[in-house]
Amino acid sequence: MNYYLQILTVIMINSILAVSLNLITGYTGQLSLGHATFMGIGAYAATLFTLKLHLPFLISIILGASVAAFFGFIIGVPTLRLKGDYLAIATLGFGEIMKNILLNLEITGGPMGLRGIPKVTNIYISAVALFLVIFSLNRIMNSRVGKSFIAIREDELAAEAMGINTTQFKILAFIIGAFYAGLAGGLYAFLFRYINPKDFGFMKSIEILCMVVLGGMGNTYGAVLGACIITVLPELLRSISPVIAQYRMVFYGLLLIIMMIVKPQGIISAPSSNKKEYKNSLEKGGQ
Amino acid sequence: MFFEQIINGLTLGSTYSLIALGYTMVYGILELINFAHSEIYMIGAFIGLTMVSVYKLPFFAALLISMIGSCILGIIIEKAAYKPLRKANRIAPLISAIGVSIFLQNAVLMIVGPQARSFPSGLHITTLNIGGFRISTLQLLILFVSIILMVGLHFLIQKTKLGQAMRATAQDKEAAQLMGIKIDHVITFTFAIGSALGGAAGVLVGVYFDSVDPMMGFFPGLKGFVAAVLGGIGSIPGAMLGGLILGLVEMVGAVYMSRYKDAIAFAVLIFILLLKPTGLLGRSVQEKV
Amino acid sequence: MLMSKRSRFLTILFIIMLTAALLSGCSQNQSEKSPDTSQPAKPDETIKIGTIGPLTGNIATYGLSTKNGVEIAVEEFNQNGGINGKPIKLISEDTRGEQTEAANAASKLIEQDKVVAIVGGVISSETLTAGPIANDAKVVMISSSSTAAGVPEIGDYIFRNCLSDEVQAIQLAEYAVKELGLKKFAIMFTNNDYGLSLKEAFEAKAKELAGITAIETYNDGEKDFRAQLTKIKGTNPDALYIAGYYTEAAKIAQQAKDQGLNAQILGADGFYSPVLLELGGNAVEGAVFTAGFFTDDPSENTQNFVKVYKEKFNSEPDMFAAQAYDAAMILLTAIKNTDGKGGEVLQQEMAKTKDFPGITGNTSFTDVGDAIKDIIILKVEDGKFTKLR
Repeated sequence: MNYYLQILTVIMINSILAVSLNLITGYTGQLSLGHATFMGIGAYAATLFTLKLHLPFLISIILGASVAAFFGFIIGVPTLRLKGDYLAIATLGFGEIMKNILLNLEITGGPMGLRGIPKVTNIYISAVALFLVIFSLNRIMNSRVGKSFIAIREDELAAEAMGINTTQFKILAFIIGAFYAGLAGGLYAFLFRYINPKDFGFMKSIEILCMVVLGGMGNTYGAVLGACIITVLPELLRSISPVIAQYRMVFYGLLLIIMMIVKPQGIISAPSSNKKEYKNSLEKGGQ
Repeated sequence: MFFEQIINGLTLGSTYSLIALGYTMVYGILELINFAHSEIYMIGAFIGLTMVSVYKLPFFAALLISMIGSCILGIIIEKAAYKPLRKANRIAPLISAIGVSIFLQNAVLMIVGPQARSFPSGLHITTLNIGGFRISTLQLLILFVSIILMVGLHFLIQKTKLGQAMRATAQDKEAAQLMGIKIDHVITFTFAIGSALGGAAGVLVGVYFDSVDPMMGFFPGLKGFVAAVLGGIGSIPGAMLGGLILGLVEMVGAVYMSRYKDAIAFAVLIFILLLKPTGLLGRSVQEKV
Repeated sequence: MLMSKRSRFLTILFIIMLTAALLSGCSQNQSEKSPDTSQPAKPDETIKIGTIGPLTGNIATYGLSTKNGVEIAVEEFNQNGGINGKPIKLISEDTRGEQTEAANAASKLIEQDKVVAIVGGVISSETLTAGPIANDAKVVMISSSSTAAGVPEIGDYIFRNCLSDEVQAIQLAEYAVKELGLKKFAIMFTNNDYGLSLKEAFEAKAKELAGITAIETYNDGEKDFRAQLTKIKGTNPDALYIAGYYTEAAKIAQQAKDQGLNAQILGADGFYSPVLLELGGNAVEGAVFTAGFFTDDPSENTQNFVKVYKEKFNSEPDMFAAQAYDAAMILLTAIKNTDGKGGEVLQQEMAKTKDFPGITGNTSFTDVGDAIKDIIILKVEDGKFTKLR
């Protein structure tokens, strides 16, 4: 596959991940540090459906995403009672537990991972998937459900007072986010033809969070933009000159700091009916 | 054998406690998860190693210099990467912290290379045999130094004026400011103390495992963070308790199910959070309407 | 409301800008050509080969050793006139040990730099991701350290030049029982493909010949093995087989000693590095392990390699460097024989390699492209490695 097409495909997959985390963290205001877990579950499930049950690609990745959504539900029900950073650490914990399990199960190939996955994902499939994800997400966000998500982010107590069952909606955001992330995981598995538990660890979760924050939290297109930057940046640093390539991770770290200082609200700041209020709510945090 | 495992667990746990203190103090005041803390720990270990191996300083002098060095590094990081973001939303400093962590880790990697090095502490280490149980003097030393540092910190926070200011700031920043407390100084000081403890932990762990490398901060950093949350983030006795519990749980996990060691540690964390959503000793925060 | 026209426009603009920047960045890279080759030559007359491996991140040490080994081989060829007069240019790409990066790095080398062949990846997950890309593009790829099952089976264009985990473990188990007279074995293995395949083979053979008392596991990067070791100590074994790499192996040996576990330390080629001696000190004294390369080997090739490596990189070569050097030598010899053609011609030439005399023994390839090599057994004596067999 062409180098640029491959990077573009990775951008699409990362965009789906960023958009799905943005639903949970950006729109609903629940900080998750374990989003890569859902990607991993989706990747493993889709792969196993194809390798063991010989299901066709499309059915496999949709079933894989559904399995991820199911885990989103299982993980979401107990943890979403927690608030703010406690929720963040619980999601991180679940991520590490899942990774540990994937590393030790027979069916997932343990540390050997799963190989021999057919190559199906290409630029068209991933572009269609990204389009469908954004399209459906916009429909959700324009509906009553989406408005409830935002109400929870803006002021959880007020939302509850308005008659929104906040726990239920938070779990719903988690399930939808996990479904999309699982879809991205399936696409990833069928792109690189080999998966390994290490790919879906804490660092990947952090990477996805960086995409969301960098692009601008609470904005779907911001998330896409963030995914582009985070995907392309290391490659760009690789190709500029051999000297920079050697130090590229140092530059990467520096750029993250500088970007946050220059534009802490992200490149595309979130639209809100009342910007000042929105900012205040973020300052107050998850409390 | 059981007794030995307990000692192993407590030694490991006491270093987690030291790391957790840095996380918890910063969180208590800024509500920021300082991801760069694990790198301060790593650089602290390298400063200690340099002092011992290049300048041939005795171990305790190296420990002290490393604490001072980490302290300065902590202050620089605060001024450069977090202070400009004090007015921003909560997640921006988090990303900035991740940036600092990636930057420092890779910068050190470029300077010293990826290879692990041994830590010739020059200490006389023997293994004591108390009624059939084996304890190394090094383990006793680590426990001892950790306890001294923690007691010192407790004294500082409870008995000094500065400690009072720190507690006041953690409770209510605006009210503290109105009372004439210089918030910026308090924050700087908090970073300084937390980083010094992190650096000390780095040196102690470096000596304990006789190995120092640029990537050594990642896992202990994560564990220290978990320990802080376990004990109730923002709570100083909580961090100490959380570290010790995590050390013990990990040791038990390693003995009975070494494959699922990390999973067990995190499962215990989640279990405790579900029972007590603000950690073991955390204050329950009342929601303001 | 949630997607204002302005932000949508901004996003699209940014994507276009980034792609353009990427394109220009790469073409720029192509135009600034190797000033380091010994002979002046037109750009199109250089033969390019690439390496992929982790040059940054937590396993950079393996990637850097690999890159260094290949660099020496390339230099050696260039000093002797390159490939029939054409200088060789080496392009090394970093993967951070991550799959996505490995795939991107392989694609870049193949598409942008148009390399003839690739040495790499270093860890198995990299090779399993980058391998299919190289194979599809008919570019020969030879890994010098990816020991996982299934690597050479990726395709005809994928070769491997390292010791077989299975053969190593079996030979050591036999040696330990028959020559060293050991009877009760405990195993500590690192929970990755390398550790796992060593452990499976050793366990099977040791069970057949003698007995196993305990099997424990750990993860790479860990430093505290006391819990597992205390448990192993309770089963009182004669020997402890550590299926892992030197950094952890040294710590395990040391902590075993601290815990009063007096067992013969056994290991595999992952032990072979000066770092084992530095980190392990007294505790690794007497350790016995299998390897494919020995720095004190009197042969001229080996001594030359060690000398050049020390001069150039100011450190002792480890097994990653040695295997990478041999892999590059095998590859460059095949490229020379086919006059830098690459593709199918190179693949066929590589497959024909027989008893290639390298510093890691004589190498031939099996039908799928896996190396068959001699295995030697080393021992740590007086803080130095010595050859037992």
